[in-house]
Amino acid sequence: MNNHKKNLAVCLTFTVLLAAGCLLGLFLPKEDISYSERRRLAPLPVLSADTWFSGRFMSDFENYAADHVWRRDSFRTVKALVQTKLFGRLDENGIYAADGHLAAMEYPLREASLSRAAERFRLICDKYLSADNPVYLSVIPDKNCFLAPQSGHLSMDYAKLEKRMAQKADFAEYIRISDLLETDDYYLTDPHWRQEKITDVAERLSQAMGASISKDYKKHTLDQEFYGVYYGQAALPFAPDTLCYLTTEATEGCRVYDWQNERQIPVYDQKLAAGRDPYEMFLSGSLSLITMENPDAPSKKRLVLFRDSFGSGIAPLLISGYSEITLADIRYIHPDTLEKFVDFTDCDVLFLYSTLVLNHSETLK
Amino acid sequence: MLFSSISFLYYFLPVMAALYVISPGKLKNTSLLFGSLFFYAWGEPGYVWVMLFSIIQGYVFGLLVQRYRGQWAGRLFCVLSVCISLSFLFYFKYADFFIGNFNAAAGTSVPLLRVSLPIGISFYTFQMVSYTIDVSRGEPAQNNIIRLAAYIAMFPQLVAGPIVRYSDISGQLADRKHSLDGAAHGIRRFVIGLAKKILFANQFGELCSVCLALKEQSALSCWLYAVGFTLQVYFDFSGYSDMAIGLGELFGFRFSENFRYPYCSASITEFWRRWHISLGSWFRDYVYIPLGGNRVGRARQLCNILAVWALTGLWHGAAWNFVVWGLLFAALLIAEKIWLLRILEKSRVFSHVYVLFFVTVGFVIFGAGDLPEAVHRLFGMFGAGGIAPASPEALYYLKSFAPALAAGAIGATPAAAGLLKKGSAKKGWNRLLSVAEPVFVAAVLGIVTGYLADGSFNPFLYFRF
Repeated sequence: MNNHKKNLAVCLTFTVLLAAGCLLGLFLPKEDISYSERRRLAPLPVLSADTWFSGRFMSDFENYAADHVWRRDSFRTVKALVQTKLFGRLDENGIYAADGHLAAMEYPLREASLSRAAERFRLICDKYLSADNPVYLSVIPDKNCFLAPQSGHLSMDYAKLEKRMAQKADFAEYIRISDLLETDDYYLTDPHWRQEKITDVAERLSQAMGASISKDYKKHTLDQEFYGVYYGQAALPFAPDTLCYLTTEATEGCRVYDWQNERQIPVYDQKLAAGRDPYEMFLSGSLSLITMENPDAPSKKRLVLFRDSFGSGIAPLLISGYSEITLADIRYIHPDTLEKFVDFTDCDVLFLYSTLVLNHSETLK
Repeated sequence: MLFSSISFLYYFLPVMAALYVISPGKLKNTSLLFGSLFFYAWGEPGYVWVMLFSIIQGYVFGLLVQRYRGQWAGRLFCVLSVCISLSFLFYFKYADFFIGNFNAAAGTSVPLLRVSLPIGISFYTFQMVSYTIDVSRGEPAQNNIIRLAAYIAMFPQLVAGPIVRYSDISGQLADRKHSLDGAAHGIRRFVIGLAKKILFANQFGELCSVCLALKEQSALSCWLYAVGFTLQVYFDFSGYSDMAIGLGELFGFRFSENFRYPYCSASITEFWRRWHISLGSWFRDYVYIPLGGNRVGRARQLCNILAVWALTGLWHGAAWNFVVWGLLFAALLIAEKIWLLRILEKSRVFSHVYVLFFVTVGFVIFGAGDLPEAVHRLFGMFGAGGIAPASPEALYYLKSFAPALAAGAIGATPAAAGLLKKGSAKKGWNRLLSVAEPVFVAAVLGIVTGYLADGSFNPFLYFRF
């Protein structure tokens, strides 16, 4: 190839790629949502004198243009592969792959955040509970706890975190569950635990709280593939998970009420399993306040479970031991408003939180 | 608008290039000017008038200076034009710095102006000043305001240089050749600059951010920051210059080089002949030589060097750490002038270590928010204040960024370019490289698009100067 042909090829390649990018950007139908990142994509900004001279139109257009690149997810994967394979980066956007899992580097330990979480829990106890209410606390380690020591990624001192939380929340009896968990108890591409792998955790918690739960589980496996939240964030090519759920007689017969939307909901929502975040199938995902009623319960025992999203997976396993479980997520509902909905008389109270929330407790109201 | 953005790559550039190609010869400068004004207004809609005013006053005074050249009125018009240009720069960039220092010294509380800095004002002000001075020195003034405006506002070099001298491109503004070979060369240069910015500079920027955010600082994390920032500044700024030069070639202009592998220098004197060449030569021709240059006595010459480098520092930013950064180089240049250069010539290894050490230290001062922060970071590099030599976090980030740092260190030398040059001299290799070039262009564009689609807004470091 002589120089002229080579230069022609360079010019043509550049022109065609830029023109194609321009035409696809201008005329391709636009998506509203990025399912892999689970967020709304930037809309086309409105052009007006105000938005132009304030510079808002330009900054919004930059976001719009970056969000609506043709085959954006594929381009993001190219970037992730260049970062990890070519530049040898050990993590991508704080997410790393190890032992067949994707995990987030949860680091460093934020003492002030633990103190704040404990203070929020104490506030609830002081406001609503009496000496007759048994109060429990349990901490769910995120999977970085198990993966990082082997893979060499950064991680917190999880034993220290548990110890600190138990000390700071001295009004609650601490139930240790970290010894029952291991890497494979979590989804490959998602931070959450697998319901079918945590029956031992449910057993430990119920025993500690004096409840007796059914062990007669029936396992169901969904057909659709499950790509978790880390998959979208890392944009690395990764095999999907399968999603399973467990039923008992109690889950079959139980009624679930969503106070936030004032409606009955199923324990396992099959429609949500096919949606953008299949993990939302467990008790319909991130709802502020729900009540599970078990009409066939062997006792009148009631539980108020202060929880994050991990609680949605375990509550169905606990319901057989209780006549009622109220799940409150104080990231979405202020504790002061709970008295309108929750009767705390003679109920057990469990604060069950993952390290991901405790280490970022600014999200707690 | 950033060169390294989707809106520039896939919206502005194709439309601008198409407009330019279809414009008849006489209207090419006009289409370039309007495209450039749109490009500038995209990033700075409120300050287009500042640049337009600067262009109009430069145009009018340029003609007046030419008409009265050699007379006192000509000198007066030249001084007036320079003062007007510099007064804008002073108002927007330095007023608060001087008010703040005046308040601190006099114990007063004169309110700060708190005006935002128009993008690229340091660059286009210097171009305007050089134009007026060149006209007063005998260069013909530009009669065509479109050409002058196209020179000042030309988008490839508008916001972060290189500082293009009017005398260098006055002929090209009137008549320039467009060729396939020139365009291909410009594309290659642009793509290399894009890769430097996105793949390297941003990578090192990320390293700097994580190092500064570490809960537990250590000497290793301080060094990682220092090395990361030194590489970031180089790849960021030289990447921008490559893109500017490449885009210039695409539109038929030839800008002079702004970087020549500065980290390979064997002395600071050589470093400044290779780093931001257009700024160094501007200060030499418009400040140092008019002050007397090398033709005055030793003491005066050293004072001139100090003045020029204090101004060079201040040009980069209105803060004392920039002044100290400039004066550090002034001290080293003076030392080299008097005796150090003779010692450096004796050992290649020592001279390179010496340059890299002081350049790195210099950039730690340069990158700090203020002087106390600079001192704190420098102390940290040498373990002062009882900080640990290393920490698990610093070791992790060293491991994670080691391949990028190694690639950056090699990329900052002429090794890769030398290898390509040798390869292209061999027939078989030349064939392979010929096929590889369009593939390289496509691959870099694809990878860069991936980074831009995944990333957020990441402006060039030199936009703030």
